[in-house]
Amino acid sequence: MTGKRFKTIAFDGLLKNNPTLRLVLGTCPTLALSTAAFNGIGMGLAVTFILICSNVLISLLRKTIPNAVRIPAFVIIIATFVTIVRMVLDKFIPSLYDSMGVYLPLIVVNCIILGRAESFASKNTVLDSACDGLFTGLGFTCALTLIGAVREILGAGAIFGYTLWDFKIEFFTSSAGAFFVYGLAIAIFNFIYSKAENARRKKTFDLRIMPRPDVSAPDNLDPEESEKAQAQADGAAETAKEVK
Amino acid sequence: MTVKQFFKSQAFKCIIVLLVIALIAGGLLAILNDVLYVTEEERTMRAIEKVYGEEMRYEELSFEADKLSNDYGTLSKVYLLENGNYLVQATGGNGYKGGTITVWVVLTVKDGAFNGIEKVVLESYEKQTLMSKLTYDVYSAHNDEITGDVYFTTGGDGIKVLISGATLSTNALNNAVDCALQFAREVLFAKEAA
Repeated sequence: MTGKRFKTIAFDGLLKNNPTLRLVLGTCPTLALSTAAFNGIGMGLAVTFILICSNVLISLLRKTIPNAVRIPAFVIIIATFVTIVRMVLDKFIPSLYDSMGVYLPLIVVNCIILGRAESFASKNTVLDSACDGLFTGLGFTCALTLIGAVREILGAGAIFGYTLWDFKIEFFTSSAGAFFVYGLAIAIFNFIYSKAENARRKKTFDLRIMPRPDVSAPDNLDPEESEKAQAQADGAAETAKEVK
Repeated sequence: MTVKQFFKSQAFKCIIVLLVIALIAGGLLAILNDVLYVTEEERTMRAIEKVYGEEMRYEELSFEADKLSNDYGTLSKVYLLENGNYLVQATGGNGYKGGTITVWVVLTVKDGAFNGIEKVVLESYEKQTLMSKLTYDVYSAHNDEITGDVYFTTGGDGIKVLISGATLSTNALNNAVDCALQFAREVLFAKEAA
């Protein structure tokens, strides 16, 4: 895997195709488990682990699994990893296991995991799929932790269980508060992302136009080449105007 | 389709692939279940640790089913701890949307008689949306020596515990604690006296 490919996968998973804030996938656990930042991290890391493992295994078996039964095969693989995570959490982190409740087994039908298995892991190499699982999972974890932190600070006056102040607005810990903070997070993230994307596009166009050849200056330039360069520069300027 | 054709068909390949994946997954989970199984004893120790902050030896007591339910709710577990106190798991109803709250209640014993409540710790709840209003202070409001035949209530003549804005959830919590109280008075200590 090249560095450029790695960067593209990382950028896609974390920002461009962030499962929670851009694709609006995995909404159910996002709304239910973002009451506290710790719950968000726990759920995010559980999903990340399952994403990496299922992506790797599905990528390994992509040429073995017949197309007709790929979905049931993916579901068996994902369900196996979810059950392993459940067992491990129940044994070693019971508090997190209790706080996740029914949403932990529901990871089996999480659209993010099934979506990445179907659209990426079943068509790409093992290393690419592992990276995709890692960065998509981290994108999900960051979004859940961010929403959880905002709700915990405003709704309980605490962060990661540590009390900050007595002031709290109960609304933010309720279901309605979850929808409110989630919607606000999507709006802010997409506003910033589109601004940054527009700025990047503008910069790219400017860079394309910047090296406009000065056709009149050099004396040793062939007249034919000079005309060609002038036409190219004019064409680029026209294109930039149209795009703007 | 002949038998030979079936064994060469895509359908047969699909069956085999799914079967192999399911068998490997099943085998792996069976092994891991054996390694990571949490026993009932371990779960009880966790519950005691959650209440007391340390592990403590205990003896599980069993009662007839009708004695484990009363006017306020139902009890699911009763333990006698090594320090002489009783730890019971009680569920109170009539909460928000008819939901329930389940708590662990430590019933203290003094000179062989029921003395009061030492601790109330939340175990789980159903349908209650404003549980964040029930802070540590609300649970500890039940911790006291309780003399006479009084019960906790959101209004009326008993010991009043009411959180405004979460009246029904407080009601379910009071019912759970009262369930443990009534069990102590009418079954646990009545039995010991007998």
